Amino acid sequence: MNQGQRFFRSPFDIQTPPGAEGWESMYPSYLLFNDELRERDEQKLWFFDQMHNPEPLYPFDLMMPESWLVSLNQYTTRVWNLPTALGIEHRIVNGYLYLSPNVIDDPAMAAEREPVFLERARHYFDNWDDIYDNWVAKAEDCIARLKAIRFEPLPEREPTETVLGHRGTTTAFDLLTTYSRYLENMHEMAYYHFEMLNLSYGAYLTFLEFCKGHFPAITDDMVARMVAGIDVILYRPDAELRRLAARAVELGVGGALKSGAAPDAVVAQLRESDAGRQWLDELEAVKDPWFYYSTGSGYCHAKRAWIDDMRPPFAALADYVGRVERGEDLSRPLEALREERERLAGGYRDLLDEGDAAAFDGLLALARQVFPFVENHNFYVEHWHHSIFFNKARELGAVLVAAGLLDADDDIFFLHRYEVYQVLYEAEARWALGVPTRSEHTWRAEVARRRRIYAALEKWNPPPALGVPPETVTEPITVTLFGINSDTIDRWLAAEGADGTGDSFAGLAVSPGVAEGVARVVRQVEELDELIDGEILVCPLTAPSWSIVFARIAAAVSDGGGIMSHAAIVSREYRLPAVAATGVGTQVVHTGDRLRVDGNTGVVTILERAGVATARAAGA
Amino acid sequence: MTGQHGQPAAAPALDPGYVVATESCLPEHVGNVGGKAVGLGSLLRAGQRVAASFVVTAGAYRDYVSAGARGLSPAMRDAIGDSYLALCDRRGAEVTVAVRSSATIEDSTEASCAGQFRTYLGASGVEEVLEQVERCWIAAFEPQVGSYRAARQIEAADDGLAVIVQELVDARAAGVMFTQHPRTGDRSLVVIESSYGLGEAVVGGEVTPDLFEVNRITGSVHDSRIGAKPFEHRLAPDGRSVLTLPVDDGRQRAWSIGEEQVMALLALARDLEAKLGRGLDVEWAIGSIAGMAGEPALFTLQVRPITAGTGRPAAPGPNVDAVGHILDRLASRRPGDQAP
Repeated sequence: MNQGQRFFRSPFDIQTPPGAEGWESMYPSYLLFNDELRERDEQKLWFFDQMHNPEPLYPFDLMMPESWLVSLNQYTTRVWNLPTALGIEHRIVNGYLYLSPNVIDDPAMAAEREPVFLERARHYFDNWDDIYDNWVAKAEDCIARLKAIRFEPLPEREPTETVLGHRGTTTAFDLLTTYSRYLENMHEMAYYHFEMLNLSYGAYLTFLEFCKGHFPAITDDMVARMVAGIDVILYRPDAELRRLAARAVELGVGGALKSGAAPDAVVAQLRESDAGRQWLDELEAVKDPWFYYSTGSGYCHAKRAWIDDMRPPFAALADYVGRVERGEDLSRPLEALREERERLAGGYRDLLDEGDAAAFDGLLALARQVFPFVENHNFYVEHWHHSIFFNKARELGAVLVAAGLLDADDDIFFLHRYEVYQVLYEAEARWALGVPTRSEHTWRAEVARRRRIYAALEKWNPPPALGVPPETVTEPITVTLFGINSDTIDRWLAAEGADGTGDSFAGLAVSPGVAEGVARVVRQVEELDELIDGEILVCPLTAPSWSIVFARIAAAVSDGGGIMSHAAIVSREYRLPAVAATGVGTQVVHTGDRLRVDGNTGVVTILERAGVATARAAGA
Repeated sequence: MTGQHGQPAAAPALDPGYVVATESCLPEHVGNVGGKAVGLGSLLRAGQRVAASFVVTAGAYRDYVSAGARGLSPAMRDAIGDSYLALCDRRGAEVTVAVRSSATIEDSTEASCAGQFRTYLGASGVEEVLEQVERCWIAAFEPQVGSYRAARQIEAADDGLAVIVQELVDARAAGVMFTQHPRTGDRSLVVIESSYGLGEAVVGGEVTPDLFEVNRITGSVHDSRIGAKPFEHRLAPDGRSVLTLPVDDGRQRAWSIGEEQVMALLALARDLEAKLGRGLDVEWAIGSIAGMAGEPALFTLQVRPITAGTGRPAAPGPNVDAVGHILDRLASRRPGDQAP
């Protein structure tokens, strides 16, 4: 809209998309913009959390942002006492999640918090490796307890054991308490998620800023390459696929994997031979945990993990088998990667004067020390734990279907977790009464209504930001995790001013190189089937499990993400130019447009519109 | 090469030092040989490929002025002429040279007195060389220069003017190179400006050169921009003069140097910094010299320290460890060196 003006649309001026009337009823009122806080909220910046929730929020999935709201922000505000930051607020607009950071402007308050912060944070840095080892143990224990949770349909009658064991309580009571334990487990994992994250990002950001201070032209990508771990867990799922592809060729069963048939059909074919069964055994051996690998950010139940939907890993296997057969070595050249990392770091350090070089060494060493947490927590938390968490919700959904209250297992995702308490009570009550109740009609109709609203919300394009941005954005989590800084704000303002019809737009340059090609706009992992080799992927956010695609595309452009996002890491791994955090890519670009993606500068240029190219092809 | 030949045999005079070998020009000689000659001397001592040259000293200029500026004395003529002929002997041909004034006070003065310092490209033969040396001298004491200097309160006796006589490289492409970013001080970048023909087109700001910013660690081109190069200065086919020729559209749209040359320049930047220290401003040319066999080669024409200030942040205090550094960053909303 307003070119040159330093504000976005007010969140209070956003219209409800047609068909989505009443969307507010799906969400708790404390997450909605409200007239009581209007004066304050209108003067703040609210940015769309495309990185974690690119889709409208399912009411049940709100468990994720609602738990990170308390865990991350408690760490910022109450545990670490960051001297200049308070928590990041949430609001939902037309089903989409918007965030707003808060800073402490009062110097007295900052000064009071500072000694507490310094003492506590230093303790973590000073004991980092031990704390991290213990963190892994806690995370694995939390996952094991989640796995052990079972939701089972209420039996026709209470088992005899209840009586003979003099239990006193019943399976219906167990269902309720198990549900509480289940939510608590998610909450617990959210705390572990953020236990070390603020400090990790702080260490990384400090090194990044140091490098930029001395080498203003240094790219974020270059800094990431100096710091990134070589042998990290986040790469394991893909590494396992590469290994399995090589094994399939060794065992002579590559043909079945290359057939392009559905995973079930491929598995059936493999079962027919000894070699095939051998390969399937080896596949089974790595599935837990490495196939607990979400195709999304881990914050949306609809993005299934490989273990639940084998199409993405099987598509990757088909590609990898072909490459192994052509004589390619798919294993990651760890030694070469290590050498490159040292060569880059040494090259920059040698350009610094003595004192600066010592500071560089110290900051680099700390950034590298914290980085395994940054990379690996993602697998433990978002992929492994959260994939199981959503599957357990489906189990609970089946219980409610069996109780006659819902139509389908995944209806449960249209209910907020506190509404599920109510449904569980009603299930318990029906079970107790042994006669029909109104509940089944109420909840089934409500879910059907919400499904219609959700479909309408999906068609809405959330703007990257709302409200009034501050003069500068330097809060560490906002900058590092969400990839939002003063430049991002300026780009979004410019894009909004230009109404998104410009010939080029910019994002963060996250992986170097320049590529030209035809755009393919992909919003869901399922749409990846339509992608043609050599196209440029334009998506809301790439997830690492889209890795099959990275072997085939010329470049990647994502609306969200930052230098630390999965997309950035995988693009660098595949040596593809990539631009992240454009905010507008999927809105401005259409499939078929010709693009130039400059991963050095972060600029994406629309060279030719799809319509023009088509008209010409038609013989105009 | 001190030009003793031609002195009357009966009266052996002290060597007036009118001409010195460029190799022998050290920083402490700047008052007599000028900054350019000191730069060239350091290049020669560092073993770089440099076009051969000699220096006509400020002492010669002072003697010329104090004798009333009435032509070159026989001693001067002999010293300069013999040195020129020695250049020719090395190549086995009559060489074409550039004759340039070189300030003996601060290098920056040259820029601020622009126009009073002279470069003549394409002199050949003893007589023409002598004439061009004298023209450099005359340009230096023309009235406007004197008044300019008076205004700056520089005493005439303290300054002088050296003149460098150097083989002319018939450059296909030439330009300047900064071994770190001249504006930001970023040491990871080598910045190259290049255009067709002799480097004067770039140095004198006559054309918009092609620009390359090269990451010296990875060797990759960080940024590049094609310039506007409507003409070039080239040596005439007879090698005896310099012509200004139009550049056709196709070549204007093309890069004046290719990737291989960019990499050769990067290697030169690394080499020069290793020998001469950080932060250099280099004039270079790719071309050949009359009588020189083989392919065109990369010549270093001039080197001087980059003078522009850099905005590099100060090093943290010695007592700040890495954790302290990070805590400081996290504790403050407005970091001192917040990246753009």
